[in-house]
Amino acid sequence: MSGAIRVHRKSRLLPALFVLLAGCASIPPSVSELPVRGGSIELADTPFYPQERYQCGPAALTTVLAQSGATASLDDVVDKVYLPGRQGSLQVELLAATRTEGRLPYVIDGRLAAIWRELEMRRPVLVLQNLGVAAIPRWHYAVVVGIDAGRGEVALRSGTDQRRVTPVNTFLRTWQRGDYWGMVVLPPGELPADPDRSRYFEAIAALEQTGRAEEAAIAWQAALEHWPNDSVALFGLGNARLVLGDYRAAEDVYRELLDVEPGMVVARNNLALALAGQGKFAAALRQIGIALSENRDAALERELRDTEASIRRREAGGG
Amino acid sequence: MGLQRARGALARLVSVSIICMGFAQVAPAGMIGTAHLVNEESRAASLSRIEVLLARQDVSRQLEAFGVDPALVAERLNGLSHAELMQLEGQIESQVAGGDVVAIVGVVFIVLLILELVGVTDIFKSF
Repeated sequence: MSGAIRVHRKSRLLPALFVLLAGCASIPPSVSELPVRGGSIELADTPFYPQERYQCGPAALTTVLAQSGATASLDDVVDKVYLPGRQGSLQVELLAATRTEGRLPYVIDGRLAAIWRELEMRRPVLVLQNLGVAAIPRWHYAVVVGIDAGRGEVALRSGTDQRRVTPVNTFLRTWQRGDYWGMVVLPPGELPADPDRSRYFEAIAALEQTGRAEEAAIAWQAALEHWPNDSVALFGLGNARLVLGDYRAAEDVYRELLDVEPGMVVARNNLALALAGQGKFAAALRQIGIALSENRDAALERELRDTEASIRRREAGGG
Repeated sequence: MGLQRARGALARLVSVSIICMGFAQVAPAGMIGTAHLVNEESRAASLSRIEVLLARQDVSRQLEAFGVDPALVAERLNGLSHAELMQLEGQIESQVAGGDVVAIVGVVFIVLLILELVGVTDIFKSF
C-alpha cells in the first residue's frame, strides 16, 4: 500500500524532470533552410582572441569588432563588458560596448539562414549559446565564422579554440537554448544583410541616445537609401543634425518631412529648436504654436510647453 | 509653485548629470528623440527623463556591486540606450551572463532528483 503511494508520488516527479530538460527536447530548424544547398562559406581571416577564464564575452566581441575595422584591444573590451560578480558578460553590455566603439550593433533574426547571409557580407556573427541544458546552463559567447552546408558543420571562434567545428544540429540546439540570440557589428552606413526596419531603426536611435550623433547621421542616410522618404528615418536624420549643431541642415530635413506629414507634432517641435539655433526665434515660436494647436497627446503637451519656454528664455537672453 | 521649483531643480540636475557623464554630443533642451517614434518600449523611455536618470543611478550602483571598477562605470553606462537602462534597473542579477560558468547547485539538484526517482533518496517530501 505504502509502496503504491510511493510510486504515485514519484511519478509526479517525472514530468518535472522533463520540464527541466525541455530545452533539448524540441527539434531545431535544420540546415535545409539555408539559401544554398551543399555550399560553404568561411571567413578564414577573422582574427582570434583566445579567452581567459569566464571571458568569452570580451573575446567574442573583440573578434567581431576587429573584423569591422574597430581597433579596441581585448583589455579595453574586458573593461567594458566583463562583470566580475557574475563571472560573465551581459548581452546588453555587448551592445553598449559596440556603440562606444563607434559601431552599430544589430541583433539578427534567429535563423541559420540569417547567419549565412551575414557571412556572405563578410560579417562574422557573435552568438549566445547554452552549452549545458536549461537546468544546468553553461552560457557561452562564440563567433560563427563559417558554415559548410554540404558537411553540415559550423565553424566557430570559441573559447580557446581558434577553429571549433560543430555539427550544425548540435550548434542549433545550443543556439536555441540561447534563445537564438546573435549580433553583428556594423560600421555606420552599412546595412544588415536583411534589415528588419524596426530593429535597425531602434539600433540607430540607440546610437543617438548614447551621444553618437555623427554615426547616427550616417546610418540614417543609409537607411533613407533603403527606405526612401521614410518618415522615421527623416526624423532621425534631422535629429542627428540638430544634435551636431548643424541647424540649417536639420531645418531642411524637418521641413521636407513636414511637407509630407504636416501633422507630425514631434518634428515641428524639433524644427522649432533648429530655427531657434539659428536665432530665428519668432519663426521658432510660430512652429511651436502650430504644434500646440495640433497636438492631442497630453505627455507631449508638457514637452511642447517646455520647448516654448526654453526658446523664450533664449530669446530674452539674446541667443 | 514649490512643485515647479522642484521640477526645475531636478531638470537642472538631469542636465548637469548628463554633461558630467561625458556624452560626445548633447541634444538641445526640448528635443524629442528619434526613439519616441521607434517602438512602444523606447517611446515610454523617451519622455521620462527622470525615470531614466534613476535607472542610470541604479544600474551604476549594481555594476559597482558586481565588482566593476568605479572608474569604469560611467563609460559603461554611456553605451546603454534608455530602454536598456530601464531593462537593467534592478535586474542585473537575473540577466543571462555568458561566461562558461556551470551552476554547481543545478548539477547537485539534478543528481538528487535522479536519486529521488530511483528511490535512493527521499528529500523532496513536498512533491
